[in-house]
Amino acid sequence: MSTMVSVQEVTKVYKRGSEELKVLDSLSLDVPEGEFVALMGPSGSGKTTLLNLIAGIDQPTSGAVVVGGRNIAVLSEGELAKWRSHSVGFIFQFYNLIPVLSAVENVELPLLLTKLSKKERRERALTALKVVGLADRSSHYPRQLSGGQEQRVAIARAIVTDPQVLVADEPTGDLDAKSAEEILKLMETLNQEFKKTIVMVTHDPRAADRAHVQRHLEKGVLQLR
Amino acid sequence: MKYLPFVFKHLRRNWVRTTSTVVAMAVCIFLLCTLRSVLSEVDSMLEASSATRLVTRHSVSLTFNLPVAYESRIESVPGVKAVAKTIWFGGSLPAKKEGQADETEGDSTTDWSKFFNNMAVDADKFFPMYPELTIPPDQWKAFRETRQGCVIGSKLAKKFGWKVGDRFFLESFIPPYRKRSGPFEFEVSGIYDADLAKYPGTDVSTMYFHYEYLKEGVGREIGVGTYALEIANGDQAASVGKAIDALFENSSATTITETEQAFKASFIAMAGNLAFLLNGIGLAVAFTILLVTANTMSMAVRERRTEIGVLKTLGFSSAHVMGFVVGEALLLGVLGGALGVFGSETLLYGLSHAPGITEILAGMGLSGLELKPAVAALGLFIAVALGLFAGFVPALSAYRAKITDILRTV
Repeated sequence: MSTMVSVQEVTKVYKRGSEELKVLDSLSLDVPEGEFVALMGPSGSGKTTLLNLIAGIDQPTSGAVVVGGRNIAVLSEGELAKWRSHSVGFIFQFYNLIPVLSAVENVELPLLLTKLSKKERRERALTALKVVGLADRSSHYPRQLSGGQEQRVAIARAIVTDPQVLVADEPTGDLDAKSAEEILKLMETLNQEFKKTIVMVTHDPRAADRAHVQRHLEKGVLQLR
Repeated sequence: MKYLPFVFKHLRRNWVRTTSTVVAMAVCIFLLCTLRSVLSEVDSMLEASSATRLVTRHSVSLTFNLPVAYESRIESVPGVKAVAKTIWFGGSLPAKKEGQADETEGDSTTDWSKFFNNMAVDADKFFPMYPELTIPPDQWKAFRETRQGCVIGSKLAKKFGWKVGDRFFLESFIPPYRKRSGPFEFEVSGIYDADLAKYPGTDVSTMYFHYEYLKEGVGREIGVGTYALEIANGDQAASVGKAIDALFENSSATTITETEQAFKASFIAMAGNLAFLLNGIGLAVAFTILLVTANTMSMAVRERRTEIGVLKTLGFSSAHVMGFVVGEALLLGVLGGALGVFGSETLLYGLSHAPGITEILAGMGLSGLELKPAVAALGLFIAVALGLFAGFVPALSAYRAKITDILRTV
């Protein structure tokens, strides 16, 4: 299996006024293609920062982040935005759906950046909703959906552009046990049937157990366990 | 274009706020367009003035008349070509027309709904000063020969359906110009017109009749409201005016002589500094609306910080996100502007067609009051500019927002 994500000697330092805070310290991590990795660790250990670097929404202070063979640490903000639009799908803890858009419009949103026609965009969005089992709720607005359903719409939005990598920041953190189980099953399906590489941050050991590999961070350093 | 529905959806998110902002913007543009139209009409009226025509009036007020004896003395001033007596009659129709039984016959109450501008003039001297007013020779001849004759502007003729030979009655609301036996009777001797392409702003809604007829009617000396003068050289207007005023400096009726344009402007300025007032109101309203819209957009962006972060995470560039915010602000501007222009057009159309009001406006020289395309375009432009300015700062903050900073606060 080739490497889908390669984090090489990455250091991330945040500046708070004159104070510098090293969040990641020369961290290296390889995620093979089709892998399902869970990143665990206490609050402030740097797991979300690492996830943000892999998703291309933040850039390292030093080191390289290679995703799908491309070092995204050297891309400009505009290039990163373009890269994110087709290469990575992001799943948030609080779903972050746009409340004024229906489920299908939310899923269709990333496709506005493509050259697809309106009809093609709608078809793809409906297909993504079918994959997450919500085709019958396509016209519902987020306020009309349960937390689990909202998260499934958010997952549909993440996969609609068919990205190579899915990153999830505590995707079950705001859900009850039953909904969380449904979401985890869905992520397993995406990993096993659709061969998506998934990097998931979680505090929940049960969620982490569903991943193939668990990696633990502490004070910005990966722990060997 | 594919982003437009997305922008519209956001505007509908808080429809009360959106509606109030659009209405506020509409009121602003409505006021700007309406006030601008009034000013534009005033300007065109002033532009229609000739540089070689002066007006001499009482220095205290237009309501004080000047002695008739001033005419020959003014004529003697070097540079003066002609002098004509004029009096603003202030007459209106007492709803009585020859050949028609009228229940208000004998009633001298002024009918303001039929008010129009009418003046008693020394016709033989007055009309040659106004070459822009054209009267067919036979009608001019008839006017000169008919004591009760009058010439009316083509617009006025159209308004009342008058034609040459028609008779009507007018009664002034100014007591010294009334006669005991009732209203003055007039006969339409001629209908004058003007080439509005060559002389834009020329008033074709006034009625002129003989000064002597008024004087005889009231049965005593009535003085002169204003003297209309023609001078040989427009460049000498100031010196000629000064010379005329100097003639009467030590008399009981001192004068002010000014160009026709200045006279019209001062006539309008009796209500205060109109241009300053109207422009001031317009600017104050526009500035207030700028603040209101800016506040609306700032609130809209502030409450959507997370969504901005999500959009950027999904791959929308900072320019895209900025575009959405500016687009929303522009839409607010366009909607408010269109509504305001429509409102102004409706009001001005209503005023220029409403019985009673039309005549009052005509009496003030504002007979052509309408929303001109240029003013409507200016209104829309200001609305769009207000939207753009109001949306720029919130859009810039959305542009600069870092995804990690936004998502950290979720």
